[in-house]
Amino acid sequence: MTFAQAAEAHLDDVYGYLTWFTSDRFTAEDLTGVTFERALRLWHRFDPDRGSARTWLCQVARTVALDHFRSEKRRTRREQLAAAPEAVDPRFGEGLSAELESALARLTPGEREVVALRVLLDLDAGAAARVLGISSTNCTTRLNRALKKLEEALNVAA
Amino acid sequence: MSQRDLVAELRAAHLTAPPGLRERVRLISVEGQPAPRRITWRRALAVAVPVAAAVAATIVFTRPTHQANRDQALERLAPATVHGSAASVPAPTERAAKAFTVPTAPDRAQQVGATLGLRVATAGAVSDAVKRALAITASLGGYPLSVHAQSHGKTAAAMLTLKVPRTHVSEAITRLSALGSIRQEHVDVTDKQAGLNTTDRLIARLQRQLTTLRAQPTTATTTAQIAALVARIEQLQRGEAATRRATHYATIQLSVATPQPTVATHHGHGRLHGVVIALTWLGIGAVYALAIGVPVLLVLAAAWFAVRMVRRRREDALLG
Repeated sequence: MTFAQAAEAHLDDVYGYLTWFTSDRFTAEDLTGVTFERALRLWHRFDPDRGSARTWLCQVARTVALDHFRSEKRRTRREQLAAAPEAVDPRFGEGLSAELESALARLTPGEREVVALRVLLDLDAGAAARVLGISSTNCTTRLNRALKKLEEALNVAA
Repeated sequence: MSQRDLVAELRAAHLTAPPGLRERVRLISVEGQPAPRRITWRRALAVAVPVAAAVAATIVFTRPTHQANRDQALERLAPATVHGSAASVPAPTERAAKAFTVPTAPDRAQQVGATLGLRVATAGAVSDAVKRALAITASLGGYPLSVHAQSHGKTAAAMLTLKVPRTHVSEAITRLSALGSIRQEHVDVTDKQAGLNTTDRLIARLQRQLTTLRAQPTTATTTAQIAALVARIEQLQRGEAATRRATHYATIQLSVATPQPTVATHHGHGRLHGVVIALTWLGIGAVYALAIGVPVLLVLAAAWFAVRMVRRRREDALLG
């Protein structure tokens, strides 16, 4: 598989993952571009025997997103001294109810990313755990907690 | 809403990358094909192996041999024997019989000593060599100081101490070296000229004192002083004469012997002795490696776990 084929096949997955992770489509677009630039530089390190291209691209995307979160945290800390940060209206995809969008927005980025990997991208527990750098058991526990939180939020809204 | 319904609804979410992003990624993947890495480990290996082989070959082929080292050392030592007061010259074996010169200065009083060890094939050859050595010594104006010879079965050995005029010592050694194959050769040259000069000056000073004393009126004191001075001067002159005599002749210690019969030595080791020794050293090496390596590995593992834990906590704090 060439890089171009991998990029074509998994662009939507990476974009979706980053959208859910960051809860901001515009940021996700930027980060997706950065992710594929970085992935292109690191493509020689990709080993198909150790995992699928989708998993590997998600790992790269996660690193890019974490860098973004760190820089955002520093920026927000600076800017909070001058003015309150601008609120972002999260949109997680077409076909989701407003209640579910709202419930998703209440999850932390860590919870949203595990839901994105396991539910949206339908990765198995092992692959998702590899992306997150944790054990499969821990990954499943995180998913259950996140889904329970979502369920509670939806029930409260109902 | 049940969790199953929730998951179904989440999965129904449709997310497609915008066309702008798709085009951007397409351009990245098409136009920005990564340049192949210039230095891969295979290329590095392909360069490193020949370079290492070349360095090793250079070291092996340009390393001076033991013989060359000895010759260079001899060349370095030779001038010192001429100018220094005393020096020892280990002469190279086998080559000495062809061109051997004792570095002496004829106009200075020098004490020359040489040791020559020869090996001959048979006991009869030892006897012949002794006879010829005595003849050579006599022909050069020298004399034998001592001759010891003994034989036991097929083995024999002889030890000669020869006195040869210093002016002929090089020729004597050259001719004696031809009596057998050289196994040992050693030359000592000690300069005595400086000591003789000092003694000469001391004697002259004492003689001047003696002349002065003799010019004074004779008293019991002067008579005693004159007697003491005369005795001292005579003692110095005897010593000086003895030194000059000693430097006139060179002493050559010549030993001639047959080869010692070789006795097969049996150490009681079996065929696997080498393997046992190798395994022993391997075991020792393994123990050392364990003793040093295990604590290092433990420290590294602890450091790795600590870094990982800190990174996880920071990530959780960031995403929490």
